[in-house]
Amino acid sequence: MITFGLPKGRNLGPARASLAAAGLNLDGLDSSRLRQRFPDQNLLGTPVEVLLLKDWDLPLYVEHGIVDCAIVGSDVLEETQPDVFRPLQLKDGRSRLSLIAETPDLPKRSGQLRAATRYPAWAARLLAKRNLHVEVIHLTSSIELGPLLDLTDVAVDIVQTGTTLRTHDLHEVEVLARVAPTFVVNRASFHAHRRRLSGLLGTLEETETGGD
Amino acid sequence: MKISAGLPTGVSAALFDSAKRRRRLEARLSALLEERGFAEVLLPILDYFEPYRPLLTGRRLEQLYRFVDRDGQLLVLRGDFTPMLARLLAPHLDELELPLRLYYRGDVVRHQPLRPGRMREYSQLGAELLGGDEAEADERMLTLFFDLLLKARGEAPVPGDGEEHALRVVLGVAGALDEALLAAAGDREASDLALRIASRDRTAARRAGLAEVVERGYPTDLSVLGGFAEAVSDLLELRDRLAAAYRGLGIEVEVDLAEFAAAALDPRIGVGEGPRGYYDGLMFAAYAPGTALALGVGGRYDKVFRSLSGDCSAVGFSLGLDLLLELGAAEALP
Repeated sequence: MITFGLPKGRNLGPARASLAAAGLNLDGLDSSRLRQRFPDQNLLGTPVEVLLLKDWDLPLYVEHGIVDCAIVGSDVLEETQPDVFRPLQLKDGRSRLSLIAETPDLPKRSGQLRAATRYPAWAARLLAKRNLHVEVIHLTSSIELGPLLDLTDVAVDIVQTGTTLRTHDLHEVEVLARVAPTFVVNRASFHAHRRRLSGLLGTLEETETGGD
Repeated sequence: MKISAGLPTGVSAALFDSAKRRRRLEARLSALLEERGFAEVLLPILDYFEPYRPLLTGRRLEQLYRFVDRDGQLLVLRGDFTPMLARLLAPHLDELELPLRLYYRGDVVRHQPLRPGRMREYSQLGAELLGGDEAEADERMLTLFFDLLLKARGEAPVPGDGEEHALRVVLGVAGALDEALLAAAGDREASDLALRIASRDRTAARRAGLAEVVERGYPTDLSVLGGFAEAVSDLLELRDRLAAAYRGLGIEVEVDLAEFAAAALDPRIGVGEGPRGYYDGLMFAAYAPGTALALGVGGRYDKVFRSLSGDCSAVGFSLGLDLLLELGAAEALP
């Protein structure tokens, strides 16, 4: 049996659609149940179990081998840095991590800039690479409120369509990184199910024309 | 000063039954090592820091617990047995009768971020074979590695679907992908490509013409490996011999060069993958289903002796006793 971890909430749809396009049909998946079994999966030649878990918890379950593989946002992977394999990025649900401010350019300040983000470790790494010495403030939601309410000078957050930015009259100063749903596999599971997963990943790769 | 009743992060105590289980597993494995002519060595928990600078990679050096003692000496707590043993033996190679078979057991400590199943103090048992014909020594040590894994599992039958529940030993050669990585990505990007291949990134591998390496473990056309083609060809033959010998015993063997892609030897790539940073030939790792970490790792590390001005071939491995116990190894022992 192969156990899949899928994200609860709005990321479940795209993850499920990608798997379905590759031939892994999860018809009847009940998004309110934690654990469900799909005994007949010809594609993999073994039953499939699906666990629905929170995005931020998925890497831990994969790393620990509780689930063999999962679809997780690359943003979560960059922040949590789990020791897992990342064979493929999916096309649907891509976005970007951007530097956001109330002005089109970085605000000028004599001292250190402050940035609000839900990704303190990843943002710090990306900003350091740009020689920006920034004090990173960790927020868990409504990151755009940081600069709007003068808690911080800028925000570092996911931008998908830009609607939130336009609503609040904020500017996308710079794209720092690309974000994509990523198929991840536990190390030991990769070796145990190599042939089976290789088939699925090959089909997924063909259906996901987006590449990197 | 407030002292909590608990222990520092990343360490644990083995009390009562868990202590008994660990000692029982150690005894069982040590008996097999003694049977094969390996002699036990007891190494100190404290050493000077300085000798490890040329032996360990950046990440591994950072993991060492170091401190200044009352005499002003910079000391380290034991973070690895192999380099310590090498540095103690290197000055005396002329006086030693080779081949030399040694084994050790005990704890190592490393400061690292806490991850699932990863402590800061580990209990290890390992073996080293110094000198002798290299190919013969590699095969002999791999066979010993397999036999210890079986012994740890008590030679119990593999439950359920054999293939899915088997232990997996993956084999590789340090630096085997170096030439292919440099040809595909150039000096500046080869390091990033090595990490992507190690992470089984299919898109990066396909673009680099190394799709087969992440899919099946090695390329059909070994010539893309340049000077490493022959070593990998020999490794495939070794895999076939081991697979035949251990078929039906619950150990699957595969060659997987991607597993060791980050253990580059070429300084232009210079990834120097942490715990495997000192290997320069055969490399191997064992996994069990549902585990977070390798049960054991090993390989050839002649360059450690070369960097200590010694000329000696060396191959060895260590097994994580805590991981083996977590798998229920000791319960399976009669």
